[in-house]
Amino acid sequence: MANVFAFVESRGADVRKVGLEAVTAARQLADKSGGGEVHALVIGGQGIAAKASSLGQYGADVIIVVENDALSNYSPEVATATAVARIKSGGYRAAIFSTTAQGRDLAPRVAARLGVSVVTDALSVDVEGDLLVVRHPMNIGKVIATLEISGSPAVIAMRPNVVSPTQNPKAGRVESAQPAIDPASVRVKVTETRQGAGGKLDLAEAPVVVAGGRGLKAKENFKLVEDLASAFGNAAVGATRAVTDDGWRPHSDQIGQTGRLVSPELYVAVGISGAVQHLAGMRTSKTIVAVNKDKDAPIFKVADYGIVGDVFEVIPALTDAVREAKKHH
Amino acid sequence: MKIAVCVKRVPDMDVRFRIGSDNTSVDETGLKFDINDFDAWAVEAALQLRDKNAGSEVTAISLGPDVVQETIRKALSMGADKGIQLKTDKIPFDSLTIARTLAEELKPGGYDLILFGKISPDSSNGVVGPMTAELLGVPCVTAISSLEIANGKGSAKRELEGAQEFVEFSLPAVLTVDEGLNTARYPSLKGIMAAKKKPLEVKPVQLSDPQVRVRKLELPPDRKAGRIIGEGAAAVPELVKLLQTEAKVL
Amino acid sequence: MPDRPGSVQPARHQAPLPLDRLILTDRPDAEAVPMDVLFVGGGPAGLAGAIELARLVKADREAGGDLGDVQIGVLEKAGALGEHSLSGAVVNPVAIRALFPELTDKDFPFRAPVGAERVYFLTGSRALRIPTPPTMQNHGNHIASICEIVRWLGEKAEALGVNIFTGFPAASLLTEGKRVTGVRTTPAGLGRNGEPAGGYTPPTDITAQITVLAEGTRGTLSQAYLEWQKISSPNPQIFALGVKEIWETLKPLDAIVHTLGWPVPRDAFGGSFMYPLSANQIAVGLVVGLDYKRTTDDVHEMLQRMKLHPLFKNLLDSGEMVEWGAKTIPEGGYYALPKRRHGDGVMIVGDAAGYVEVASLKGIHYAMQSGMFAARAAFDALKRKDTSAQSLKEYDAMVDASFIARDLYRRRNMRLAFQESNFYVAGIKAGLMTVTAGALPGDMIHSHRDAEVPRELAEFEPFVPDGKLTFSKLDAVFKSGNATRDDIPSHLIVGPDITPEVAELYSHMCPAGVYERDGERLVVSPANCIDCKATDVLGPRWTPREGGSGPKYRLM
Repeated sequence: MANVFAFVESRGADVRKVGLEAVTAARQLADKSGGGEVHALVIGGQGIAAKASSLGQYGADVIIVVENDALSNYSPEVATATAVARIKSGGYRAAIFSTTAQGRDLAPRVAARLGVSVVTDALSVDVEGDLLVVRHPMNIGKVIATLEISGSPAVIAMRPNVVSPTQNPKAGRVESAQPAIDPASVRVKVTETRQGAGGKLDLAEAPVVVAGGRGLKAKENFKLVEDLASAFGNAAVGATRAVTDDGWRPHSDQIGQTGRLVSPELYVAVGISGAVQHLAGMRTSKTIVAVNKDKDAPIFKVADYGIVGDVFEVIPALTDAVREAKKHH
Repeated sequence: MKIAVCVKRVPDMDVRFRIGSDNTSVDETGLKFDINDFDAWAVEAALQLRDKNAGSEVTAISLGPDVVQETIRKALSMGADKGIQLKTDKIPFDSLTIARTLAEELKPGGYDLILFGKISPDSSNGVVGPMTAELLGVPCVTAISSLEIANGKGSAKRELEGAQEFVEFSLPAVLTVDEGLNTARYPSLKGIMAAKKKPLEVKPVQLSDPQVRVRKLELPPDRKAGRIIGEGAAAVPELVKLLQTEAKVL
Repeated sequence: MPDRPGSVQPARHQAPLPLDRLILTDRPDAEAVPMDVLFVGGGPAGLAGAIELARLVKADREAGGDLGDVQIGVLEKAGALGEHSLSGAVVNPVAIRALFPELTDKDFPFRAPVGAERVYFLTGSRALRIPTPPTMQNHGNHIASICEIVRWLGEKAEALGVNIFTGFPAASLLTEGKRVTGVRTTPAGLGRNGEPAGGYTPPTDITAQITVLAEGTRGTLSQAYLEWQKISSPNPQIFALGVKEIWETLKPLDAIVHTLGWPVPRDAFGGSFMYPLSANQIAVGLVVGLDYKRTTDDVHEMLQRMKLHPLFKNLLDSGEMVEWGAKTIPEGGYYALPKRRHGDGVMIVGDAAGYVEVASLKGIHYAMQSGMFAARAAFDALKRKDTSAQSLKEYDAMVDASFIARDLYRRRNMRLAFQESNFYVAGIKAGLMTVTAGALPGDMIHSHRDAEVPRELAEFEPFVPDGKLTFSKLDAVFKSGNATRDDIPSHLIVGPDITPEVAELYSHMCPAGVYERDGERLVVSPANCIDCKATDVLGPRWTPREGGSGPKYRLM
């Protein structure tokens, strides 16, 4: 039996979906190691405590809440010090984080201070005696590693979306806590945060790629693709060779030609028939969605989910549905 | 200003990898290696700062066997002033081991700025920069896409999911570099010639015992055959449901 | 002058070599990088030459010679050594043994010695085993990947202190009077209209006492030098185009296989090869002379159709094509060698000079050996402090007295017989030549430049690749690893009067899909180009472009 720590990411006064995933992953791990407790740490601005109490539904036994208006944005130094202080005092088997921009920043800092190593982008975590066994994608997802972690606590950042938040109600006792250091004392000061101004995501790295082909018929119709990408929020826009050759999009957006490969979590092919060089460029994507009016288009051979239909009808509907779905996270 | 850039030798990703006969490493036969792109952008950032600040010096540091000298020479041919190889038999996966070894080298170096690429595509862990910063006890900003240094202070921009963050920090500091900060220069012919004469110090180092070990490597399974779930906009609710519950990507 | 009705003569539509861009009389830039000997091209010829020279210099220094520090440079247009190298390859080890007398065959980067070998005559559905002609017997030779050989030679050269500059194509020769004084590289980071863009790097001048042109097949600077100095050959150089694929297979191949006949048209010269690289890797390719007779003859497509033949299909069907590439081969042989391959401050070696023996399909050992001869001539010239043509003519003398000239002379008329006759007549002549050691059928057979051979307009049946066993040109280019920036200026000079029929010819001539016929129009996609140089032989002129452009071969 061993307790597991989970760091729950917040945005403003909201708990992020990846935070629920972290608690769920911690719960599963605690259960696999004989049913220990899950202690979840949430840091956020005013109002976070009210939201955090729901974490008990996902399996948190204790919810440590640091509610402070100076902390409505992520502060690496405060989060590191606070997490480290708690983990040191708690005797945890593992500390679970999320592989987001925030988690990639925080988990290694915490691990280094604890004198342990860290694995990010974990696809799964299992217990084998004294070892935790983690699957981790390497070489841009072209190789999957199975890693053994012997250090304790094991610091692991889960890949988003590999664990779905699962109801498993526990006590969810809320403890309010103070930041371990004065938020005003940090050496790296955030002077400004521009929400919704996330820079252009790189095709190779974006978790979601929405790509358009000649089925869009004209340059101005590429707006459909852009709108769908912005509905996802974490999507980059790609294009086929035919489209870039016609000057609808810059060549830097081209997938498949001249060796550009992408392997996002989700690839949405809009009006793309699926020339083999395009397929070669995106076939390692985890999930492929294709919308095309020709049911015999080769793209459907690799699409996990195909919709046969007019892109001008299907894509706006999909955009609305994605926007709706995203609202709830 | 004294600037260190930590660089890694990585294989070209545009290939189909094979697993080595030991099942714990990638078969390197026929692979092409070069400096990690993110690290090349870090080198470029260092060179731009050096050129703006008279009397500055850029040191390129790489950990690994002698083949990493190639990677250090690449940084030198771009314009770095000197190189240090922290010589080991192989590059371990364990990030703490690497960060500890780097911190030990960097600590007495008196660097004002220590730059890393934000991630290397091979091990895809992306943590050595911030771990090293913590071990050194200096401020750290990860994944920067803009950088200004003036009067002993720095400012930078970070791209987060759905937001941009602008930060200020004091020196010395550790920064990890994201795409978009700059375009790395090509080494010039003169640069390649000059690099041959620049100092490259080889320091054998002892790695601490790893806490993370590779048990095995596998290739991901092939794609299963595709399926069509419906026709027209009427199929959208079903698609969204499948993306949420089955594919778990929404 | 318009084409004769019903045919296209490629030469009528070809732009001249842009000598004004290729031969410069400017003084080298004040910032020029000084080398003593510069090899232009990092293939087997250039690297073997650089290694040999570095060793001669080292031995001289150790013996107390007065040569001092000699800077040896190798310029390579590919981003990394070997990425633009393509060959069969079955290698005669004679030159590499001579270059590394201290090593044994097992130290060399060969895959395996040649074991069994088979030759077939193919029809559309059958394979008729025929006796292996003496010229095609490969006992004692080794199966290899030229990419691997070149990478290995590169390591040896670097260890000897040779300066290897990859990603730097030579764009022009720097000259003074008749003397070659070095080269100017291409700029990098140009935008589509030739304007400096992100990452712009200006050209660099490299000066050298001796410049060795080791550019490979259809070398642009080599052609320019020969034309500028009006150095001719008894016959024009002629070329073949080879298209090659590497397959990973479940079934092993137990012999090296060559085929004649189908799918090569009876009025064209060509044949296929299939070599085992390892238990689960096979190289398969088709070579066809560029003096083929129809606008619609298409070597890439012939190779695709050929793989549907049971001889190939049975092996490849369960496998996967992992790499694709193409390259021209100089096939003119003895009578196409330039009358001199040296001049003031310059020598031409390897494929750039035309040292290929077509009957045995071999060039690598000639390339290496000629590079080594050039190294010896360069060394002697540096010792004499005289790098004039008079001093460097020693190089031609060494080549002419060696197995290079001897082998080429012995098969001097074989390929030429095919240009003047059809396959069967030529086959008989070739047989006679083999028996009589080249003496028959008599005197030199005169040949035409490939571009002068008229091409009949022909109907063709479009080929639909399946994406598994057979591939479109675009899929093929993807497998070449070509990662050329799409927004660099075009490096291809399209000639005059491009009719739809000429566009049709180009679209079939180019294996990489650089040219497409769109109705009446020729559409050019320069970024697809994989530097095989077929275009320079029959179509738009090829010129050096940004370093690192083109294919990224690893296994060819």
